[in-house]
Amino acid sequence: MWKEIRERESGKLRPNSFSNRIRSDRNSSIQLSNYKEIVSPHRGSVNSLQVDLTEGRYLLSGASDASVAIYDVQCATDYEGGGLLAKHKPLVTIDKQHEHGHKYAISSAIWYPVDTGLFITGSYDHRINIWDTNTTQVVMNFKMPGKVYRTAMSSLAASHMLIAAGTEDVQVRLCDIASGAFSHTLSGHRDGVMTVEWSTSSEWVLVTGGCDGAIRFWDIRRAGCFRVLNQSHSQLGRRPPLLQRAATNKVPTSKSLSKGQSSSVKPRAPQRKMAHGNGSKQSAASKIPSQVKSSARQRLHPGMLSSQDRATAHYGAVIGLKVTGDGMFLLSAGSDSRLRLWDIESGCNTLVNFETVRLQTGKAIQLATTQDSALVFVPCMTSVKAFDVWSGATVLTFRGHYEHVNCCWYSLQDQELYTGGNDRQILVWSPSKWNANELVHPLNFETVFFISATPIPVSLVLSSQHYLVFQDEWLKMGKASALDQDNWSD
Amino acid sequence: MMMMEEEREKVVVVGLIEKATNSTAAEVDPRLLKAIKSVVRHSDSELRLAAQTLMNLMKRDHSQVRYLALLIIDELFMRSKLFRTLVVENLDQLLTLSVGFRRNLPLPAPPSVASVLRSKAVELLEKWNVSYGLYYRQLRLGFDHLKNTLRFQFPNLQANAVRIQQERREREMRTREILVNKFETLKETFLSIKDELQSTIDEIGECLEIVIASDEPMPLGLLDDEEMEEFRCSELRRIRLDSLKEGNKVQETSDNKVVFDALRELYRLLVTKHLVSVQEWVSVLTRVEVADNRCRDSMLKEFIDIRNNLKSVKKKCEESGCSLPDTRNNEEEDIWEEGTFESFENRSSVLNYQSDDSSIASTSVKVKNKPFENRNKEADVKEKLDCEDSGTDSDPLRSKLLAEAPLMKWGSFLDSWGSKRDYLANQRGLELEGHWGRIDYDAVIPAEKIAELNVQATLYKEDPVEIQPCHAPLSKGGLCQRRDLRVCPFHGPIVPRDDEGKPINQTSLTEEVAPELETNLVDHLAKQAVKNVRDRDKEKAKQREHDKQALKRAKLAKVREHNDAVLRDAALASTSRSSAIGEDVETAGGERSSARNKKQTLASMLKKKVTSKDRLAQRLLNTHARDATERQLTQGEDAKYREAFPNQW
Repeated sequence: MWKEIRERESGKLRPNSFSNRIRSDRNSSIQLSNYKEIVSPHRGSVNSLQVDLTEGRYLLSGASDASVAIYDVQCATDYEGGGLLAKHKPLVTIDKQHEHGHKYAISSAIWYPVDTGLFITGSYDHRINIWDTNTTQVVMNFKMPGKVYRTAMSSLAASHMLIAAGTEDVQVRLCDIASGAFSHTLSGHRDGVMTVEWSTSSEWVLVTGGCDGAIRFWDIRRAGCFRVLNQSHSQLGRRPPLLQRAATNKVPTSKSLSKGQSSSVKPRAPQRKMAHGNGSKQSAASKIPSQVKSSARQRLHPGMLSSQDRATAHYGAVIGLKVTGDGMFLLSAGSDSRLRLWDIESGCNTLVNFETVRLQTGKAIQLATTQDSALVFVPCMTSVKAFDVWSGATVLTFRGHYEHVNCCWYSLQDQELYTGGNDRQILVWSPSKWNANELVHPLNFETVFFISATPIPVSLVLSSQHYLVFQDEWLKMGKASALDQDNWSD
Repeated sequence: MMMMEEEREKVVVVGLIEKATNSTAAEVDPRLLKAIKSVVRHSDSELRLAAQTLMNLMKRDHSQVRYLALLIIDELFMRSKLFRTLVVENLDQLLTLSVGFRRNLPLPAPPSVASVLRSKAVELLEKWNVSYGLYYRQLRLGFDHLKNTLRFQFPNLQANAVRIQQERREREMRTREILVNKFETLKETFLSIKDELQSTIDEIGECLEIVIASDEPMPLGLLDDEEMEEFRCSELRRIRLDSLKEGNKVQETSDNKVVFDALRELYRLLVTKHLVSVQEWVSVLTRVEVADNRCRDSMLKEFIDIRNNLKSVKKKCEESGCSLPDTRNNEEEDIWEEGTFESFENRSSVLNYQSDDSSIASTSVKVKNKPFENRNKEADVKEKLDCEDSGTDSDPLRSKLLAEAPLMKWGSFLDSWGSKRDYLANQRGLELEGHWGRIDYDAVIPAEKIAELNVQATLYKEDPVEIQPCHAPLSKGGLCQRRDLRVCPFHGPIVPRDDEGKPINQTSLTEEVAPELETNLVDHLAKQAVKNVRDRDKEKAKQREHDKQALKRAKLAKVREHNDAVLRDAALASTSRSSAIGEDVETAGGERSSARNKKQTLASMLKKKVTSKDRLAQRLLNTHARDATERQLTQGEDAKYREAFPNQW
């Protein structure tokens, strides 16, 4: 690690890859955190977890006893065991006693993506409540036609504030916070909608997974869904000839108006680019319309071929969806205990074989991916498994819950994983700090003195600001290991 | 080579653990445990292997194996950090297998061990959590889950200890507070208390002065040897001694009665109130903890002085002998003494005038007894023993005799121990004056008669024999605590066993042979007994038959025939039944011996235990027993018939 820091300082290593390297290092050492503990006030299974997207500091949890709680994951409320154990007690707890609280289980609790002043809860009592965080009052509520399974808001939406809600009902509804009404009703699923997810590349694209096993893509600016994923569709198909492809690529720029049949789409394409015109995302976003524009689509939409309309992504219900950070791939979990990776651009099943053992079937689960989409965290019954997204191999297994795990959330900022399960616990999994040992190792880099008359390693570091960051943790560890050591009395 | 060595050692660890867990005992063999520990201690790879093996053993479908494995896990868990980290990773699995809290994974048979396993696991989890919970989140989680979600009852050792400690501390605090309060009040009232005490002491002193000055001790007469003889019996002697003591005391007369009364009153006050209170204050002062020790010490010193003073005054009072009331239950004794005291008084006063020995006046018992000893040389050892229970003489002969002498209970026969005199029957000091007719004053009870009357009767007391407990190892752990003389009904003959219940001094061969022999012997004896009884029965029956025939020759042939038939029936019944009993014994004995010969194994623990109910059922429901019962019932009917028609017998 010190070597890398030096390389970064000297410019050999670019800051971006340096941070990626550190992150992946830390990711590979995630384990149950002993020094960080979230005190869960819930009396029912924890169904939903989310850390706010603005500060990365406040964890929101919703549980099936109709309670919601907010924790500060950065600053502990109190310490135990001489500072060894940081306890994070809820800053805010709302339960059934609250006058506008939910009556039944909360299935989904999400932050308003723009700031932490609002959060949204969806519940089995058919309601979606929008709460003011500071006053803990309901500022708005939507009555849904059935149990709410999942709510979602687009993290990159700049032009709308829509809550997508998957419910028992076959229709997906979009609730507009600005007007307080349903702005869209998306029909297509043949059964309840377990899970909804906004695209991370386009603010208009919504992905929904239903109990009928279908995963549908919706462009909310247009009626109907534009794609249904088919689990047996795994080949890209024949590529168009090179020249033709070049021509079609030029089309949007040169002949945009000449294409009569796609006139309904075309004028909006530039508009969309304007709406979220930041670099890397654009390429991914522009691929979707190009796909939309392919020849098959014209026949499919709006009245898609019934054969394609009936395609399924999983046998059984789709219980979890997660779009990777770059918006190129979609991970889906089904009650058939399969995890599938989809190429969004082509709608192909990539056929990556994830070594899942068993997934719980009754409930929606919440998946999480790391920032670089190298790992996906999947609740598998009582444990959480981390799979390599591209190979499907199990990288890590987190065993700690005593009941089924429902949800997990990966904090990009701290490389920490939060998991909530039916045993009412919220566990924190963090990169092990024991590899702080490595910091001491290269004596050639810093002058480190050990005063080790006692088994407690007291290290004095004379320079290096980097080291000082770790120092107090290191001392903490030292204290811990001093007491927790071998004791062969005979 | 190294690899080979390592391989071998690994096998050793696994073998040790498997051997340790393959037992039916309630604990792991300490030697094996020690061996495991010492092997595992030396290398991490072996520790890992041990952890792996133990986890595999925990998956065994046998609660006993799991229990022993859990005990080993605990031993290693409390010692090795690496082992802790290994175990903690799979803690949920371990708890599932040891506590059995998942419904789809209950604990395996045998159920008795399973419940022990569960409680032990819960207890150990609490222990681990208390000692290492801070360092392992998994431990905290597991503990929390079992406690708060599944609501398991934990022994709660630490909390209890803390609570008890707290309670004790509070109690101590309270007592200390009370003591300090007392001390404060004492400081205030110290002077007044002292004054009061002093005044009492002074008054007593004055009273005593008056009493002693007013009376002169009367001269005491000496007892003659002849008279000595008469007072040999201990009761009389005691009276005499008392009177001698009395003699030295000031006699209460009508003149000084007032003074005596005052003295008595003061004495009572002194003993019941002042001495007690002073004692109390002293104890308070010694226990109290205050800032200024100086004040306390000085007070304490003064109090001790006062106490000594009071004691000396009390002693003086007692010595002055103003017939002070017994402070304990004087009321009662006063009433009781009314009747008897008069008669004693007469006699003792008579004695007083006769006794002249000044040495007798001394209060020491020993000195008083010396003259007696000198005078009655012939007095036997027994009497001496009675007289001086705290004999201090170092005479070797005497001590030897004492050692030899039989220990007798006290009784009236001791009065005439060794004497061969005739007793005058009508001269017992009671002047009856012939109310019931003429009295022959010279009537004599001969010595033999006296001896006969005084025959010492003692109850035979059995020597307490320590019946050794059976001490056979029990399946649920511990040793059999039944105390039987020869044979424990559950574990066979009682043999000396060591701490673990293994028989001592017996090789396995003899151990196996002995019960067989025993059972053979038992069978043989039983058969012999049955045979004897049967023979005797037959003889008797024949005899009776003859008698009957002789007596009732005149009876009708029909009746005789009937009788014959009945007799034959009876004989038959008795034979078949007793033979059945013999068989029963035989079969039961055989079974038992075979069961005992079989060593208890893990598999045998899984077998259903034969309960006493089963055994009873087997006994009662077999065909022999049923037939016997039926026969008994029919016999009962026969008996009724016979009663109804007595002439048919």
